[in-house]
Amino acid sequence: MEDPGVVIIGGGLAGQRCAETLRRRGYEHPIRIVCAESDAPYDRPPLSKDVLAGATEPEEVAFRPAWWYEEKQVDLLLGCRAKSLDPRQRTVALEGGGELRYGELLIATGSAARRLPFLEGFENVHYLRTLADSRRLRDELVPGARLGIIGAGFIGQEVAATALRAGVEVTMIEALEAPLAGIVGERVGGWFADLHRSEGVTMRLATMLEGARGNGSVEELVLAGGERVAFDSVVVGIGSAPATQWLQGSGLETDGVKTDAAGRTRLPDVYAAGDAAASFDPRLGVHARAEHWDAAAWQGAAVARSMLGDYPGTPPLPSFWSDQYDVRIQYVGHAGRADGVYIEGDPGERDFTAVFTQGAVPVAGVAVGRPRSIPRLRDKIERGHFPAAHIEQEEARAA
Amino acid sequence: MSYVPTIDPGACAAHGDCVDIAPEVFRLDEVAVVIGTGPDDLILDAAAACPSVAITVVDDASGETVYP
Repeated sequence: MEDPGVVIIGGGLAGQRCAETLRRRGYEHPIRIVCAESDAPYDRPPLSKDVLAGATEPEEVAFRPAWWYEEKQVDLLLGCRAKSLDPRQRTVALEGGGELRYGELLIATGSAARRLPFLEGFENVHYLRTLADSRRLRDELVPGARLGIIGAGFIGQEVAATALRAGVEVTMIEALEAPLAGIVGERVGGWFADLHRSEGVTMRLATMLEGARGNGSVEELVLAGGERVAFDSVVVGIGSAPATQWLQGSGLETDGVKTDAAGRTRLPDVYAAGDAAASFDPRLGVHARAEHWDAAAWQGAAVARSMLGDYPGTPPLPSFWSDQYDVRIQYVGHAGRADGVYIEGDPGERDFTAVFTQGAVPVAGVAVGRPRSIPRLRDKIERGHFPAAHIEQEEARAA
Repeated sequence: MSYVPTIDPGACAAHGDCVDIAPEVFRLDEVAVVIGTGPDDLILDAAAACPSVAITVVDDASGETVYP
């Protein structure tokens, strides 16, 4: 019987990188990618920036042109969703009927935005996950429009920066005392609040929402305490949850599929990567969802290497970046366990590095307008995690 | 044309920004690789654009690291 090949569920970055790496390494059997959206796989970071600003056309964000998929014999099943996984039969059932048999399976279904129940059904409420979401929001970002952004995470902040540049009046509403306080602490979080304030965003921090008023579309948001604020459009950016409910009954976790560092799940020939996966982090010794572009890219390629029996490599230190108001913000490491932070440079000039330490050892850093500080920081953090490996490297260099 | 880039394969996440800026200098495999040479300012632009800061640029004439 013919090898059914690799089936990839999810047409995002992780799935794309897996397919590319398989073909690059000479894999000759069929590759099929099941994509829930009607667009071929595309890059998501521009959705809150250039695509939203209208500076990049949606078709420009496709990872590859249509001919690439033909030439590489990678079949895209667009507008198609997986319904369930049967690991005994080695099949994935599809919504709307039919099933796919796999030799190896990659679960790369990504994540879905967390939703606010009291905003369901309003037509001017936006979540930003897909190209279609970005296009729809873009039409409402007209000069003078009043935009309310719920949640001051990176998506909310990037949308704020883009909308402000488009002449929109922006208010950000955040439950915490400072944006990203849960990740970078209140001190560095406070810098993010100042950044947006100085550009003209109204920041409503430590502010809870009570509800919304309007008929068909939101007219006002009601803040805790009863204050009402009028908006023309609302964007909700309060995090995401892994899109893995379809795995119910398969034996795999439905709250992020646990994998080893090479992307293997507990089921034979079944792998997971990207936002859908909670991969083992060798530095922290725990399974964790990374939810970053860099992690999805690496994990997708690592799974391809694992499928082929090649060495998958060591996962890189977590890192992500954000571009706002022409400032590049970069992050490396794990700040979650930090007990201290020190700052080098001048936050007022948007030129500084915040180094997070745990017992005086650097564990993470945020660089603002200072990309040059990243390699040194990365090196310092890695020394803390893998001192022996670094000593070996230096001995090799000295020899 | 005395700037020589190298890529840290452990840091490169294959964003591809360097390839967009200087396709004659960089190519994207599983990570980016250096395939040629080009104008100094183009190499410096590519290094500065890398979201992962994975590109080091050395001035071959002086031996000094010019980026990062």
